[in-house]
Amino acid sequence: MEQQGPILESLTRRLAETPPDFLDEPRIGAAGRVFVPALVNDLLSQYGARAKGSALMRFCGIDAKTDRNRLSLAMIAVWLLADDWFLAAKIPQADALRVLDETVAELAAATPALKFVNDADRREELARVVLARLNYRPAGETVAQATDRLSSLSMTERRRLLEASRAAERRARAIREALAKKAAEESADKWTRE
Amino acid sequence: MSDLVTDQDRYPTLTEAGRRMIEFMREHPAAPIYRNQSGNRLTAADIEALRVFEREVLEASVGWPRGNLPSWVSGFVARTFEDVPFYRSLGSPPARFEDIPTVSRVDFAADITRFVPDSVELDRLINFRTTGTSGHPLLIASHPMVAARYLAFHKKALQRFGIELRHGRGQVGVVLLGHQRKCFTYVSVTPMMDESGFAKINLHPDDWRDPDDRARYLDALAPEVYAGDPISFAELLNISITGKPRALVSVSMLLSRGLRRRLEERFGCPVLDVYSLNEAGPVAVFDSAAAGHVLLQPMLYIEILDSAGHPLNVGERGEITLTGGFNFCLPLLRYRTGDYASLSFEVETPALVGLSGRAPVRFRVANGEWINNIDITHVLGHFSIAQFGLHQRADGGIVLRLAPSALSLVDAARAALKRLFGIQTIDLEVITAEDKIVQYTSDLESSQP
Repeated sequence: MEQQGPILESLTRRLAETPPDFLDEPRIGAAGRVFVPALVNDLLSQYGARAKGSALMRFCGIDAKTDRNRLSLAMIAVWLLADDWFLAAKIPQADALRVLDETVAELAAATPALKFVNDADRREELARVVLARLNYRPAGETVAQATDRLSSLSMTERRRLLEASRAAERRARAIREALAKKAAEESADKWTRE
Repeated sequence: MSDLVTDQDRYPTLTEAGRRMIEFMREHPAAPIYRNQSGNRLTAADIEALRVFEREVLEASVGWPRGNLPSWVSGFVARTFEDVPFYRSLGSPPARFEDIPTVSRVDFAADITRFVPDSVELDRLINFRTTGTSGHPLLIASHPMVAARYLAFHKKALQRFGIELRHGRGQVGVVLLGHQRKCFTYVSVTPMMDESGFAKINLHPDDWRDPDDRARYLDALAPEVYAGDPISFAELLNISITGKPRALVSVSMLLSRGLRRRLEERFGCPVLDVYSLNEAGPVAVFDSAAAGHVLLQPMLYIEILDSAGHPLNVGERGEITLTGGFNFCLPLLRYRTGDYASLSFEVETPALVGLSGRAPVRFRVANGEWINNIDITHVLGHFSIAQFGLHQRADGGIVLRLAPSALSLVDAARAALKRLFGIQTIDLEVITAEDKIVQYTSDLESSQP
């Protein structure tokens, strides 16, 4: 976060105004309409050079159950990184790819992509995280201020994720136990049996 | 808390009249050997809610404007994406319904817990175990209220044939028939029908002190409705009962036209062929006026999909795919059933035409007797086999089809089948198809009841 970046609000506003094309369905197998590798490649060419095919493989969707939210957020992140400020800053291709791949995967693990457009806190989180991973901080903030705000957002989020993940595990275990305990034929009357 | 189950747990609202009905069914001199105990588990509050539900179901029209989604679908999708872990992990709901990924039994079998909404309280959760045509063993999350809701859809199906159920206190409402070597059997009462009797019995002679008791007992019970599957109804034709039920309700497997005609002639009442799944309950009932199975559930949307998951046009044949349903423990969102039909809008309610997917099959054992495919399910159900099939060749030889992952169990499975069939050799084939197989097949001429 050593370098001064753009005004944070310009990025969060951009996210709030994400065009419908960037919120469309990512292509996964035969479903969806947006071929995300092509979208990423277009962005990278605006940065000065197209990417190698192998670098774009991560953006090919194979299974909606694991890829859909990540690719949906990657599309939103492409829109963010196509902001004039990033283009002018000449972000190195490898850094941009890392954000679109690793950073997006982390954020998409537990938050629906659309929340990074519709929810003010998540917009701020996405903008700050992307800036930080590219070694920038919002304009007008000191390194300490930016670090504090990001870690506060991230810590809250990490805590939320951790708790959500623990709760999900507890819930799954409880469901398994409840199901194992009561076979329906011993616990309910149906007038017919399939 | 003790795990001991009492009658108070089984029948929380049981009255003296209900208790007498249970005693009558259980202790009749010609009664079968009841092997199990069960009950409705419904509280007074449940019964009140069920009355409201039933009234709404019976009054509601079923269907949606051709070419459009039902109006309730968008809210249902939003709630499901919010409340169900599996869908939450997919991210935000897609803007277009057709972009929602489909799911199938394979997804449920992989981890059913991810499909149970967070808002469902678990203390009354129950499971329905099913193997279905594909052979993927599956536990379906359910609830006593969900089981009791079946009755509303049966009434709606019967309403179509001009029948309103009348049996109440002191009478038997339904006898649910099985014809299997091993069958869960018990008696209960239906609070929604003023505690009319409910008996789940096995027609297999092994469950009776004297096979002739079957006719004596069924005539003594004189149920208003018999429910069962084509195999048990075929056996019912062999029993000399004189009582006249008002309807027969067949589920679980496709009922052949010939068997339906024979049953109608014999019992002089409508024979309903209900398309029903553990995952969704009663979906549709056959009506010759619609030349297909007419839909029953007001909150169930049906698409017909091609193999790539694309919706097909009205009249085109493909996989029946369900959204909605009445099981609040397992909301269905584009659930591919593995059954096939085309959709028709020829009558006032949409209908499934040319339904197929679960034909009953019986197998001949060494001594010439026939056994039900459910007996095979029972025998192989003990093993942890993800997918299996069984085929009987024209010479009577048996071929066991096993998923590659289950090959370590082949010796145990073979031994169990040898005992069941009384033969020395069971051939093996490895299943190479990726998804559904027809689980039970036979080259023998009389394999279709």
